[in-house]
Amino acid sequence: MKPAVLRAIGVAGLVTTALTVWLGLWVTPPDQVQGNLVRLLYLHPAIAFDALYVAGGLAALGSLLYLWRRTRSLFWDRLAAASVEVAAVLCALTLVTGSLWGRPTWGVWWTWDARLTSTALLLVLLLGYMALRRVPAAPEVRARRCAVAALIAAADVPIVHFSVDWWQTLHQSGTILNPELTAHIHGSMAWTFLLGFIAITLDTTWLIATRYRIEVLQDALGDEELEVSLAERWAEGLPEAPDPRAEPVTLAVEPPGGRP
Amino acid sequence: MKYVDAGYAIALGALFLYAGWLIVRRRRLEAAVARQAVPDDRAATGLARADGPAVDPAPAVDGRGDGHR
Repeated sequence: MKPAVLRAIGVAGLVTTALTVWLGLWVTPPDQVQGNLVRLLYLHPAIAFDALYVAGGLAALGSLLYLWRRTRSLFWDRLAAASVEVAAVLCALTLVTGSLWGRPTWGVWWTWDARLTSTALLLVLLLGYMALRRVPAAPEVRARRCAVAALIAAADVPIVHFSVDWWQTLHQSGTILNPELTAHIHGSMAWTFLLGFIAITLDTTWLIATRYRIEVLQDALGDEELEVSLAERWAEGLPEAPDPRAEPVTLAVEPPGGRP
Repeated sequence: MKYVDAGYAIALGALFLYAGWLIVRRRRLEAAVARQAVPDDRAATGLARADGPAVDPAPAVDGRGDGHR
């Protein structure tokens, strides 16, 4: 991604996030049932959406395309790695903001609800991917291992999504992404809700693109370090080269008649 | 409102911190890659490595002492 495009996405993300905060905290009215707690819902579902479908989706797509021989390229591996880290951050924030909403609403910080448990499991799987990525291995071996790990994590995404429909749990079903696809939110609340999704998606895009650049730089640095290390090891195995500075001294002690 | 304020502060604070950390990491890596590229360029043009002495004081093999091996 070109630096100018990345900068534009970053600025757009900042502006829309600031607008969401302003609308969410000061402009929109309190909810009839939830009161001011509804304001948390301008952030929490958007963060969860980007964790699961944007960052999580890109991680799954990248891993799948890396494993498929016809499209195998380190680009897909790096995209998956960048997306997984961002997905892990967003997944953790989903759990934290959800917990802050759940405490005054349900009376508990945490409950072993299907949606909550499957989301926590997703976070653990994403952290597992990140740990696996740190295990030293050749780039291709690491990429293949990580792609499989990412796909295992991705298998949890539909479980998280449908958990509120498959099981009768405490967590309510989707405000918009419900089986009937009917929006249960209107007016300024709906617009703020939508703006929150746009803002966090722009932020997520910027984060993934920046993290991808880091992955490229790390690989470049890693390759150079590997080459230097290999050259040093190779040099260790070779007979010691004569020191050119010592050569005139050796010649000077040789007898004039030459060696026998 | 304390839960709402805490939620906004934690979510946005964490996102900004993470973004800042990514920028720092990217800049450090770019600097490291640039540092590695400089010795490579110098080696390619026959000059001394940047991590070694700036000017190689060793005499040449042929004894002319022009600083080149």
